[in-house]
Amino acid sequence: MSLSVKHLLGIRDLTAEDIEIIFQTADQFKEVLNRPIKKVPTLRDTTVVNLFFENSTRTRISFELAEKRLSADVVNFSAGVSSVKKGETLIDTVHNILAMKVDMVVMRHSASGAPHFLARHIPASVINAGDGINEHPTQALLDAYSIRERLGQVKGVRVAIIGDIMHSRVALSNIYCLKKLGAEVMVAGPPTLIPKYIEEALDVRVCYHVKDALAWCDVANVLRIQLERQNRPLFSSLREYNLYYGIKRSWIDALQKPIVIMHPGPINRGVELDSEVADSPQSIILQQVENGVAIRMAVLYLLAGKKESFS
Amino acid sequence: MLFPMRVLLSQVRIVDPQHLTVSAPCDILIVNGYIERIADRIDDETAEKVSIPNAHVSPGWVDLFADFGDPGFERKEDLTSGCAAAAAGGFTEVCLVPNTAPVVQSKAELDYLLHKSRHLPVTIRPLGAISKDLEGKALAELYDLHVHGAVAFSDGWQPVQSAGLLLKALEYVRAFDGLIMQLPDHQSLSAHGLMHEGIHSVRLGMPGIPAISELIQVQRDTELARYAASRIHFTGISTREALQVIARAKEEGLQVSCSVTPYHLALTDACLESYDTNLKVMPPLRSQEDVDALKQAIQQGLIDAFATHHRPQDMESKQVEFEYAAPGIIGLETCFGIINRELAAVELTQKIAMLTTKPRSLLGLPAVEISVGKEANLTIFDPDKEWIFEEKLIRSKSHHTPFIGQQLRGFVYGILTKNQLILHHSSPQ
Repeated sequence: MSLSVKHLLGIRDLTAEDIEIIFQTADQFKEVLNRPIKKVPTLRDTTVVNLFFENSTRTRISFELAEKRLSADVVNFSAGVSSVKKGETLIDTVHNILAMKVDMVVMRHSASGAPHFLARHIPASVINAGDGINEHPTQALLDAYSIRERLGQVKGVRVAIIGDIMHSRVALSNIYCLKKLGAEVMVAGPPTLIPKYIEEALDVRVCYHVKDALAWCDVANVLRIQLERQNRPLFSSLREYNLYYGIKRSWIDALQKPIVIMHPGPINRGVELDSEVADSPQSIILQQVENGVAIRMAVLYLLAGKKESFS
Repeated sequence: MLFPMRVLLSQVRIVDPQHLTVSAPCDILIVNGYIERIADRIDDETAEKVSIPNAHVSPGWVDLFADFGDPGFERKEDLTSGCAAAAAGGFTEVCLVPNTAPVVQSKAELDYLLHKSRHLPVTIRPLGAISKDLEGKALAELYDLHVHGAVAFSDGWQPVQSAGLLLKALEYVRAFDGLIMQLPDHQSLSAHGLMHEGIHSVRLGMPGIPAISELIQVQRDTELARYAASRIHFTGISTREALQVIARAKEEGLQVSCSVTPYHLALTDACLESYDTNLKVMPPLRSQEDVDALKQAIQQGLIDAFATHHRPQDMESKQVEFEYAAPGIIGLETCFGIINRELAAVELTQKIAMLTTKPRSLLGLPAVEISVGKEANLTIFDPDKEWIFEEKLIRSKSHHTPFIGQQLRGFVYGILTKNQLILHHSSPQ
């Protein structure tokens, strides 16, 4: 089993078969993760660098754990993009690291398309750990995998993605992934946080009322309000956001059906999601985190198999 | 090279953009930069004979909006390399944006450009800044700029945002019938955008530049021109919505004109899938519907001229993440090959008029005639020749263009102006 791509730049480039292969591989790694000894020697000769040009805690730890459980050698590099911009270019930075014989690059970057640019210029496999407002493919894979685990399948499931769709790479990757797997997708939130052409571009439903979205869906994937991306006034205040778009226990209780609550983390409690909902039995937020390691192990493993010799 | 005293252009067809005619093949003898004779056959053993199959000759072409980066950005282009690129593209006169360092905002900068380029084979036509330091706050010395050689006024890549300032500029230049040029972009609507807003920006996860940022600026500036009873030119029109406003303004008799770049006729936002920084241009590449509307507008005669928006960048500005890349591509050398390929349905004479009589008329320059006794200002080309644009052909210092490797239609063999003949001695297959 192998993927149709050499890099994981986005779900946009994957086929449904690729996603299924990743899920089946993740199933095996999830079993490994539940053993007393959680480590396999699969990537023993492989060196992976985690290049984080943007702050991240959980994604970086998740990748690092996945790499270590596959016995890869791991190098971490974190830098504010601004300091890199002032000095070395991205290509120089990566060429310097690759000169030290690194095989794979996991990169998070604030600019959309940065991993595509990198992949054109270096021989190593590139895994996108989030680029600008474009994609966050491993997050979408672990989200869909978690839905599959909870509901048995993804096909036909109604998923509402709620919140800041405009600035969310999680939303875009999730939409691509869910659509490829046959789910129905709705996006919901304030109109200023939903791209104007999204219905036509991605074949999704659009809803401006969270209560209606909850009534429609089987799964609500609630996004973090990206305060750091708010370089324009796109909504009035966090108070107002919480009042009209934040998900409350009473809204969930009023539904005549069970729904699954997801969140990619970290949660702004009391903004997009109230604690009573985040911590409820309907929430699979911590399962998402657990599955993240298995999914990333699967991606690393499958792409290492595709690695080309460049000695 | 220095022009030999006598040149004989052998068996060329004369394209006359004023009368929209193409002549039968004839010979043209040029002596000391002036047209001496035009006849079916001229025998002159002493003249340098230029004999090219299917050669056409028209008045020299004019570009309304180019950037040679000189002074200040000579790493990207300078007057010498820019003029070489212009000559290769068939341009004998090029308007240069004032976005240099220092900004072209006084006679000192004009003197530098005009003096430094006086022996170069292409005539430089400087655009003076509208506002001091291109800050959009206070008027530059427009009258003095006009007197010392600025052919029109623009803040170039940094269009004036303040309606109040633009109105003052439009009113002020009426004293000498000046022309204000705007690259229409309302920046409070386009801020943070990286590509045209549409289905492709959503799919590619890139912040959008909405068509309405062009529309609002064209609407607003058209109204300001109406109020001031003054002349305005919109360069690089890229959206069908803005075209509709311009069509209405022209119907109403307002002094509004517009130009389009070659790349907006050839490329769309769908091309950006690769995040190729050679596709980062200003205004951004628009949708297929916009491209179709631009072509239709040219057929209908709504668009006055072509503007290359030649904007050379160095590798350091382009070989970076898309968001950090500087906008702009080179455009002089590919201009005719692209427009002629993309506008196959448009008469050659109309296309040539958009490169000659129309831009000269907008700038208030005298029309160039190909007749005995006139100074020679000519472009020599074959409108039917198909050729591959290869990187090794590029004269500009910058090689950043998405058209490398493409088949173009219409090849420029050279120019003859300022008593200099610049010829390509080899043409690509």
